[in-house]
Amino acid sequence: MRRVRLVSILVAVVVAAACGSTGGGGTPANSYSGKTIKLGAVLSITGAGGVYGPQSRDGMNLAVDEINKAGGVNGAQIHLDVKDDASLQSQSAQVAQTMIQSDQDLALLGPTLSNSAVAVHPLAENLKTPILAVSTTGIHIVPDCNFPKTDPCRFVFRDSLGEETAIPDNIKSYAADAHPATGVLLVAQDDKFSSDGGKIVQATVATYNINLLKVIKFNKAEADLSPYVTQAVAAKPDVIFITSLGGIPAKIMIEARKQGWAGQFLGGNGFNTATVSKNAGAAGQGARSASAWYLGNSFPSNADFVSAFKTAYGHDPDQFAAQGYAGIKIIADAAKRANLTFSDLPGDREKLRAAMETVNIQTPLGPFQFTSTHDVKQTVWIIKMDGNGGFTLVHQIT
Amino acid sequence: MGQQILNAIFIGSIYALFAVGYTLVFGVLDILNLAHSAVFTLAAAVTYTLVVNHGQSFWVACALGIVIAALMGLVIEYLCLRPLRRRRAPPIAALISTIGLALIIVAAIEQGRPGTLFSWLWVDGANPVTMPPGTFPNPTWNVAGLTLEGAKLAVIPISIVLMLILGYVMRFTQVGRGLRAVAENPRAARLMGIDVDRMISLTLVISSALGGLAGILFGVALGDISPYIGRDSVEVRGLAVIVLGGMGSIPGAVLGGYVLGAIEVLAVVLLGSNVRAGVAFAALFLMLVLRPQGLFGAQLRERL
Amino acid sequence: MDFLIQLFTDPIAFWSSHTLLISQIGINSILASSLFVVLYSGQLSLAAPGFMAIGAYASVLMDIYWRLPLALAFAAATALAGIVGVVVGLPVLRLRGVFLAIATIGFIEALSLGVILNVPITGEGLGLKNPDADPVSGIYIVLVSTAVIVFLLWRLTKGRLGYAWSAIRQDELAALSQGIDVPRYKLIAFVISAIVAGYAGAAEAHLFFILDPNEYGVPRTVQVLTFAVLGGSGTVLGPVVGALFLTIFPFIFQQAGDYIGVVSGIVLILVIIFRPQGILGRGGFAFVRPRWWPRPQVSAPSTG
Repeated sequence: MRRVRLVSILVAVVVAAACGSTGGGGTPANSYSGKTIKLGAVLSITGAGGVYGPQSRDGMNLAVDEINKAGGVNGAQIHLDVKDDASLQSQSAQVAQTMIQSDQDLALLGPTLSNSAVAVHPLAENLKTPILAVSTTGIHIVPDCNFPKTDPCRFVFRDSLGEETAIPDNIKSYAADAHPATGVLLVAQDDKFSSDGGKIVQATVATYNINLLKVIKFNKAEADLSPYVTQAVAAKPDVIFITSLGGIPAKIMIEARKQGWAGQFLGGNGFNTATVSKNAGAAGQGARSASAWYLGNSFPSNADFVSAFKTAYGHDPDQFAAQGYAGIKIIADAAKRANLTFSDLPGDREKLRAAMETVNIQTPLGPFQFTSTHDVKQTVWIIKMDGNGGFTLVHQIT
Repeated sequence: MGQQILNAIFIGSIYALFAVGYTLVFGVLDILNLAHSAVFTLAAAVTYTLVVNHGQSFWVACALGIVIAALMGLVIEYLCLRPLRRRRAPPIAALISTIGLALIIVAAIEQGRPGTLFSWLWVDGANPVTMPPGTFPNPTWNVAGLTLEGAKLAVIPISIVLMLILGYVMRFTQVGRGLRAVAENPRAARLMGIDVDRMISLTLVISSALGGLAGILFGVALGDISPYIGRDSVEVRGLAVIVLGGMGSIPGAVLGGYVLGAIEVLAVVLLGSNVRAGVAFAALFLMLVLRPQGLFGAQLRERL
Repeated sequence: MDFLIQLFTDPIAFWSSHTLLISQIGINSILASSLFVVLYSGQLSLAAPGFMAIGAYASVLMDIYWRLPLALAFAAATALAGIVGVVVGLPVLRLRGVFLAIATIGFIEALSLGVILNVPITGEGLGLKNPDADPVSGIYIVLVSTAVIVFLLWRLTKGRLGYAWSAIRQDELAALSQGIDVPRYKLIAFVISAIVAGYAGAAEAHLFFILDPNEYGVPRTVQVLTFAVLGGSGTVLGPVVGALFLTIFPFIFQQAGDYIGVVSGIVLILVIIFRPQGILGRGGFAFVRPRWWPRPQVSAPSTG
């Protein structure tokens, strides 16, 4: 009895030692063992973007933990530093510069909001540091981060499906389902994300024979949106387009329902998180948007991702978590192939940048590759709010 | 159009309630209490937390929210104002200390997340939240093309009743006379045996209670509670209101609140949102340049 | 604390990895100096962010559309701020104390919310992109200008202007009776303050790739006011010290992590209570003293 136990313990120890040292594969040619890959994420944990930032952060941390536990990137551990930009452009820029210059991070992720990206991405480009956007979906993010200058930004990438694809897909899908004739657009004119979304809506509706009766603009910080919703409802449209983010979509939907409007809400990326669905509650039921990710999607690595996330955090992940998770995986994959020296930071950043362009991996978002403009091309999921804090799938557009 | 009028009356009531507190402090103390908007926010946040995270009934939570707001008035007096008076500090220091307190309050709410230091106060961080439906009665009627919401409508009589009570207290009770005496001439009031410090505390308590109530009504009726509602919605508009109405004048603050509500909604309807706040402040600037005492303020005495 | 350690052990690396922070300290110092000028002359003008906005937008627009060289764009933008300073300063000359403060708040909000948001060329609510920003080498311009401006203002306070401003600050009526042309000197102070703030705006705009109209509203003015009061506005270096301290503060107290807002508020209150005249102290301003607010102790005995 005792002998068997001793042997099994010995076997277990040997197996554990063998598994621990190889990290899931033979020793690769460029071993980084003992080194640390420093990454920085500038996210909106507070402020209007605070509805999305924590999700991205949780997804990223999950990926970092998984990679580190499996032996790291060729033996190097990833160290991810997440800092809050309070949804403020100036703070976003300052945090990013600190990470690039002072913390000497190899690469950056974020920022959360398209508004902040306008300040941060040109900065990263200027300081020659790779930056991967994980939730900004506005226009002129990639490749022309220095718009109106047209030269492409070489160091800026994104894994978050742009509104230029998502919104038209959403409108097209609903138009095919229900043939609406009229619509009203509510747009926060001082928010880049919302404003970009609004422009895309206006450019798209004619194609599907939807007559845009009114474009109602408001300012994102206003708490009292009733005058605007009143105007929208008074026009009696079939559809109300809401391209805002944060707490605004839920407020508009609740107010519109209160005022007796029974039509369809169509939104942008701002809809795609549980907080918005929960806050909208019954008023939001059936509201549709195009998402880069769906809880029940059947891509290979998705199920593992979802269950690992639930185990770690106690609730379902959302699109932002998936994009954050994928973001880390993308950078890790690039780092593996980049032949980093860990002694020449500018050189390493350039190598990482080049390696990112050739990434080709499986992620919960599906098989992932960057387009020639460092953008994303992927399956689009049309989802609708279920009235209970969740979403159900309407269509899948490959 | 009728709906817009209702919108204007509702938001005007909120502005009025908030501004009365502001103007009361200014009238008695000649100080702008910049922590007032933080108390507005705090009361709404506390009410929400009590209902959602501590399982209290809505009415109990509201009552507690108002009580906490009133207590904050004491905090403002004892922490921010009295030490400065004792040290004979220049009056602008009071402005800064109330700014400091406002910063603390808002930051504490903003940092409230599960597992952090302030999770007893608030757990939603920077996210805006809404009172869950069903926690408070909110019957909605659709009459003649108008949507009438119980919660929003209730704000109007509540505000008016409170203002009447306050007016009565100020005019006809001994406490009210004491407050007015201090507002008029504190040295003389002290000589007449009035406990000035106590009057000041009372002023802050009443003012903060009103501000807190405004916050609760705002958050509940509009369905928007977040660490930023004070800063975004009432902080600066409150100034516009008390200037319009005359600083130190309570009826002025009330009227000013409704006037501002009307101006804003009118601007939205006629000109679009971009000019909404701009119009309010242009009006403010012009009022100060042309008629600084506002609609109801007494002639500007030279205060030396 | 690593922040401070790096500062002392490896200043060169510190310098190159904190250019934006050091530049921001410079900008905040210039802004604080702008406020110093008006405070020194007894005017509680909170208009600095408005003039900043004019300087910022004007310089960037001139760069984008007229391709003006940097120095020329700065000069023109600053001059424009000065002109607007005259236009705004004239009507508000009569206003005192808190009324002037509120009028200037009205001005900055009307400017950022009313004007900037409605003029398409400014990019309206989305902000104005500045493709020629230079976050790294902009620092030299900023630091040199800070030194020059602070020196010039210091010289001014030693001369006839400074004497007049001091007299006006302490007692406007007495200054008038001494034959000082009070309105003229007040306007001069206001316009100089506008010019300095406009320059700060242009310089700051040069560091960032986008201008955001929300940066030029009430929160900004509260921030600048805090620099000045915390640092003490008796001397031009006071606000500079205040700016330095408050800008660096979040970095030093990185340990506070998420709670930096709460800690800042507490520190603010503590500093203002225990040193109400500010860090560098010396003189507050008696621009408006409520009749009953205790006067600071006068050290020299008064005659009569």
